[in-house]
Amino acid sequence: MKAGKLRFSKPNKYWVESSQKRYVPRVDDTVLGIVVDTKADNFLVDIKGPALAFLPVLAFEGGTRRNRPKFEQGTLLYARVAKANPGTNPELSCTDASGKAAEFGPLKDGYSFECSTGLSRMLLSSPTCPVLEEFGKKLSFEIAVGLNGRVWVNAASPSTIIVVSNAIMKSESLSGVQQRIMVQKLLDRIQ
Amino acid sequence: MEQRLANTWRMTVNEKKFIESALLSGLRVDGRNVYDYRKLSINFGKEDGSAEVHLGQTRVMGFVTSQLVQPYRDRPNEGSLSIFTEFSPMADPSFEPGRPGEFAVELGRVIDRGLRESRAVDTESLCILAGKLVWAIRIDIHILDNGGNLVDAANVAALAALLTFRRPECSLGGENGQEVIVHPPEAREPLPLIIHHLPIAVTFAFFSDESTLVVDPTHQEEAVMAGRMTATLNTNGDICAIQKAGGEGVPQSVIMHCLRIAATKAADITVKIRDTVEAYNTERALRKIKRHSAPVALDVSGTGPNDWSCLWQSNIWTSY
Repeated sequence: MKAGKLRFSKPNKYWVESSQKRYVPRVDDTVLGIVVDTKADNFLVDIKGPALAFLPVLAFEGGTRRNRPKFEQGTLLYARVAKANPGTNPELSCTDASGKAAEFGPLKDGYSFECSTGLSRMLLSSPTCPVLEEFGKKLSFEIAVGLNGRVWVNAASPSTIIVVSNAIMKSESLSGVQQRIMVQKLLDRIQ
Repeated sequence: MEQRLANTWRMTVNEKKFIESALLSGLRVDGRNVYDYRKLSINFGKEDGSAEVHLGQTRVMGFVTSQLVQPYRDRPNEGSLSIFTEFSPMADPSFEPGRPGEFAVELGRVIDRGLRESRAVDTESLCILAGKLVWAIRIDIHILDNGGNLVDAANVAALAALLTFRRPECSLGGENGQEVIVHPPEAREPLPLIIHHLPIAVTFAFFSDESTLVVDPTHQEEAVMAGRMTATLNTNGDICAIQKAGGEGVPQSVIMHCLRIAATKAADITVKIRDTVEAYNTERALRKIKRHSAPVALDVSGTGPNDWSCLWQSNIWTSY
């Protein structure tokens, strides 16, 4: 049991929300992994967990032995955790449950950085996290968040990417209102 | 082996490409300007001669100690200065415990050269008995967190620790004036070292595009850079040391440009160090003053050898 904030939602749900730098793989989590090595049947992918994850070469839409994807070392992948048992290497997949690609796969260009698991959960929460909402009103960018504490941001201009990345990194301990104020200040400065 | 593989820090291709392409437009990933330093803060420990420096996310601790030793044969009138670096494995996953790696040795050498060759620390004042006893100053540098640019941070830590270090005062006594008495700090106030000037190290990182260079690289920028150069200079305009070990070739005009930038940066950092050290010294002096407590009526009728002790207990005496 990890230490964290006690959260409550009516009528009777209590849970503890913790935030770490390391990730514990869980089935059906969507994560951002970095390709470390290529083996005969799998790619070895680093997902910030205790062990490297295996991504089977066939776990892609329309994947057969004939057309295997080629990823160089350092490629950033958006994948789903298919199997995660303690003590064994987790397994990933780049298709959803029905076998379609559904946005999974390599991410090109943009900038990636690491954050804590708590921050990635906040970025993925609904309604939309205040930082992303405020930026979305003025700037156009795309973002991929891995529950394992990695975030990828892409936009047309490098300054947008830099502003959004730095704001996200600083927003973990800020409340909703503080996040909006910070984003306003940053937007005023660049415009 | 698997564990080591899982724990290494990795960079994505996206990050590498982005850092380089953003630099082409003069943008750095943390929002700084190309020639800006990160926020530098210096904190001192409880003992004299210990300093902890935060340069952005980089944290380095410097610790100065002294010992009486025999001097070297060829320098009987001078004390000695030695620097030891310790790269703690908690600072970076690539640091191994045990013998210092190549970079640890290089860092120690750069700081050592900056202090020794420029004669920043006066070693002749460390001599007590010529040929017999001198002070050996030892600087220990501990790297606590590697956020990039360890050389500059470690240099500031070493200088801050040297400036606040106090060595015990010694006097010559005995029958023929050959015996050395080391006074404890309570008896005689320890003395600071004589430091003539502050050699400040400024590190530049070069990238594969000819015209891009940055000051004070972060950990990510260091992983992408093609070459690095450290220039150590002081506010008098002297260049104490330059270190450029390997990496991309750099034209002479760029080196001169770097030295000019380094001169301005060194001035800023020197002011910062001197201000923090002065604040520390003021605070230290204030701590030494014991305040008067409320006056207490006491019995000084003289009841034997104990009558002076009641005066001590009521804190009537103050010491500076």
